[in-house]
This record gives sequence, C-alpha cells and structure tokens, in this order.
Amino acid sequence: MELVLFDGFNGLIQGAFYALMALGLSLIISLNSVINFAHGGFMVVGAYLAFALAPYLGFWGALIAGPVLTGILGILVERFLVRYLYARPDPVYSLLLTFGLALIIEDSVRSVWGAGGVPFAIPSWLDSPVSETYFFITGYRVFVMSAITLAAGALFAFLRLSRFGVRIRAGILDLETVAALGVNVYLLRAVNFAIGIALAGFAGVLAAGVLQLSPTMGNDVIMATFVAIVVGGIGSLFGSVLGGLLIGLAAGVTSAYYPVASDVVIYVIMAIVLIVRPRGLLGQEGLFE
Amino acid sequence: MSAVLRAQDLHTYYGKSHILHGVSIEVAEGELVTLLGRNGAGKTTTLRSLVGLTPARQGRVELFGHDTTHWPAHKISRLGVGYVPEGRKIFSNLTVLENLSVPVSRPGRWTIERIFELFPNLGERRSSWGRQLSGGEQEMLAIARALLINPKLLLLDEPSQGLAPLLVREVFRTISSMRKEGISILLVEQNARFGLDVADRVYVMNDGEVVHSGCARELAQDEEQVRAFAGAESRAAVG
Repeated sequence: MELVLFDGFNGLIQGAFYALMALGLSLIISLNSVINFAHGGFMVVGAYLAFALAPYLGFWGALIAGPVLTGILGILVERFLVRYLYARPDPVYSLLLTFGLALIIEDSVRSVWGAGGVPFAIPSWLDSPVSETYFFITGYRVFVMSAITLAAGALFAFLRLSRFGVRIRAGILDLETVAALGVNVYLLRAVNFAIGIALAGFAGVLAAGVLQLSPTMGNDVIMATFVAIVVGGIGSLFGSVLGGLLIGLAAGVTSAYYPVASDVVIYVIMAIVLIVRPRGLLGQEGLFE
Repeated sequence: MSAVLRAQDLHTYYGKSHILHGVSIEVAEGELVTLLGRNGAGKTTTLRSLVGLTPARQGRVELFGHDTTHWPAHKISRLGVGYVPEGRKIFSNLTVLENLSVPVSRPGRWTIERIFELFPNLGERRSSWGRQLSGGEQEMLAIARALLINPKLLLLDEPSQGLAPLLVREVFRTISSMRKEGISILLVEQNARFGLDVADRVYVMNDGEVVHSGCARELAQDEEQVRAFAGAESRAAVG
C-alpha cells in the first residue's frame, strides 16, 4: 500500500510538471498557432539559468529570475523567429523551426554547462520529509505542488479578470475581430508567447530541485506534455491541467504494479481517449466554458 | 463636406484570386452610404480592405486624411473606425461584459453604462456567455462592441442577416440613431429596401466592381433598376 502511495505521489508531482508545461504550450498553440517543439528546451534554459544564478541570487531569487529571463528570451524568439510563421499557416514550417530551435538550445546548453548532469541545491529546510511514515513527502515536493498550483491559479485569474487576459481568450477564438477592435495583436501574441515560455522556465527551475540537471531533461517531458494536451483536449486550458495530472498519476501508479509499462501507459491512455473521445476529455468546450 | 473615407481603385486578392477590380468609394462626414450587391459581389472584401484585414494590393485607402492602405487593423480602428463584421463574430467563449471589454476605447461618449441604457437586454444578460444570446442580441452586442471604440466612422456588414423582420427594423432604427449622433456610416446590405431607406447615397457592386453610384432615393424609386442591380434576393423586399 505504501509503495502505491509512494509511486502515486511521485506520479502526481510528475503530472503537475506536465500540467504546467501543457498550460504554456496550450496557450502558444491556441493564440500563436505554433506547435512549439522547443518547449522542453525552454524548460531546460529555465533550469540552467536558475542553476547559474543561484550562487548570486540564492534559491528564491533564482526561482523568480529564471522564469523571467526565460520569458524575455521567449519575447526575442517570438519577435525574430516565430512572428514570421504567422503568415504561413502550414504547420510544417512551425515544426521545422521549433524542432531546429530545440536542437540549438540543447547543444547551446551542452556547450556552456557540459553534457553531464549538475546538482542544484535547494534550501535544506525544504529538503527534509514532512512526516516519518510518509518519508517520500519532502518539504520540497509539497512546495513544488503548491508553487505549480499557485502558478496555474494565477494564470487562470489573469485570463479571467484582466482585460489583457480577456483579449487573449478572445484572440484564441477570433484574432481578426480582436484586431479590428483596436487591439494590437502583435503585442498580444508576443506577450502570450512569453507567458507560455516563462511557465516552461518556471517548470524548469522547480524541476531542477527534483531531478538532476542535464541538457536533455526537456526531451522526456515534451512528449508527455503533448500527450497531456491531446488527452485533455486541444484548446482547453483546464483540459491541459487535467490531462497532465492524469497521465502523471497513471504512470506513477503503473510503476508500482508493473514498472516496465510505466512509460508506455501514457500512450495507451492517449490511444484510448482518441478512440473513445477524439476531441479529448475537455476538448471543444473551449476556454473556461 | 469633407470625405472621412476615400478609397481609390482598390484591387484586392485572396491568395491568387482577384476579388476587387478597381473599387472606388467615398463617404463624406455625417453621411450614411449603403453598399448593395448580390452574394459574392465583393462587398465584404471591400469592407475588409478598408479596415486592414485584407489589405488591397493596388489602390489607396484614405481615412480622415491618412493613407491607411497598408496599416494594420488595430491602427485603423484607433483612428475611430468601428467595424461590425459579417456574421457578427461575437466572442462566444466570453460573457457579454467580457465581450465589451475587448475593444480599445477611444475617449468619447460611449461607455459600457451608456451601452446598457441603449440596449437594456445586454445589460440584463451581462453575465451570459456570448453563445447563449439570440441572433438579435448578438447583433446588438456586435454593434455595441464597435460603438465602444467611439467611432467617427462605422462600417457594418449585413447587420440584418438572419434576423426576423421586427428585429431588422430595430437594428435599422439603431443605425439611424447612430447617424444622428454624427457618426458617418458605410452599410453593406443585401436587403435593398432597408438599405436604400436609411441611406443618403448608394453604391451597387457586381463581380468586384462598382456598377452604379448615386442618390439612394432616386434608386429606390426605380424598382426595375434595383432588381437588375441587387439580384433576386431583393425582389421580394422591393416588390
């Protein structure tokens, strides 16, 4: 029983990461119409930036600065690369560009910080278990869950309550009409892209404290993130969260009973969802409906 | 009266298909001009070229004295150009109130409070989702959204489409009252009777060209010509 709890909790943490990544990726797919294969790469950038900055800013400073700097990098990438995709609706262009970008990011990280993993220190008081029975629930893991919940909540509040967020939701449905109503859609898309990328950076910093840092750490996450989006329903942000948590939990629980299947189970779930409900669990419902 | 809108010799394409073949249109300050024509005559494309959604490849659009031919849509809107697109295009995934917070308002008399006074139905349904509204309410919301820009020029694309006759009359009453507020209006219509009733001047389009322009009242009296220009759809309305 404890093993199931242990693996289930691990899975839930993993799923929370997928959910956070899927939220950002989903925003970018919906408003920027770009299938961003470099999303995992930006997560790695966030993680390494935090690693590089932590000696100067401390853990908490790095936790803020990492995502912010990753978001700024996102603005530059949108302005000088992604923007040229908007006039080319054929997804092949966006796949080629972002796949190339993912390779560039991976090798850049490798050439700066080396191919091997590097450790990332978290505050020691966060590193101890919160209970003796449930030794696997460390303070840091509770912190990660809370931070991800907070980030997702802040994003939903922003999209619901701020005028800019309302315009993003309107633009996801009909960008032309939003432009004809006087909204600078170039700025709207740039900020939206940056928010999505900053969320990936945030996931990276949090992941740095759980996993060991390596230039390829984004590769495992990006496929699961796409699966989370497909399971949850493309275009639905709530679906992305649900899909992420679901496949994370499923992978965790499976590893308790049948470890070799834990990687494959998420694809089995995706296949079942696609057969039974091709639009995904919350697809078509759209944003916040 | 000076022209708020002057479009000269517009040639507009969708990809490789050549849709507008040298369209020229003018709207003077305070004027209500109707653009009539059959389905596919190029009326919607003309409006899209004017508001920057499908810029003309050749020709020139001048709004309030600025050459806006290649301006992005949001910049044109901020000059004071309100646009009510074909099929309303309200944001079905937003509430009524959220729909009304999308436009970038210019300073002026139109506020959300005043909108709710003019359209009490929208006020009552401010928390409803856009997709829960009836066709008439959606049309009012689309007009309200454009009014919040505080436009000096309003472009409306078939506001009567798909509405019951009673609602059509209400929509046209609203349009007439906008005009009394001093807003210049360019109205695209298939319903020739209503379109001619409210207008000062009229342009008739066919196959991407303007084939007739003149005084609306004169054309309204010439039923034969209206039939010839506006096609079968308007026969019932005129006859």
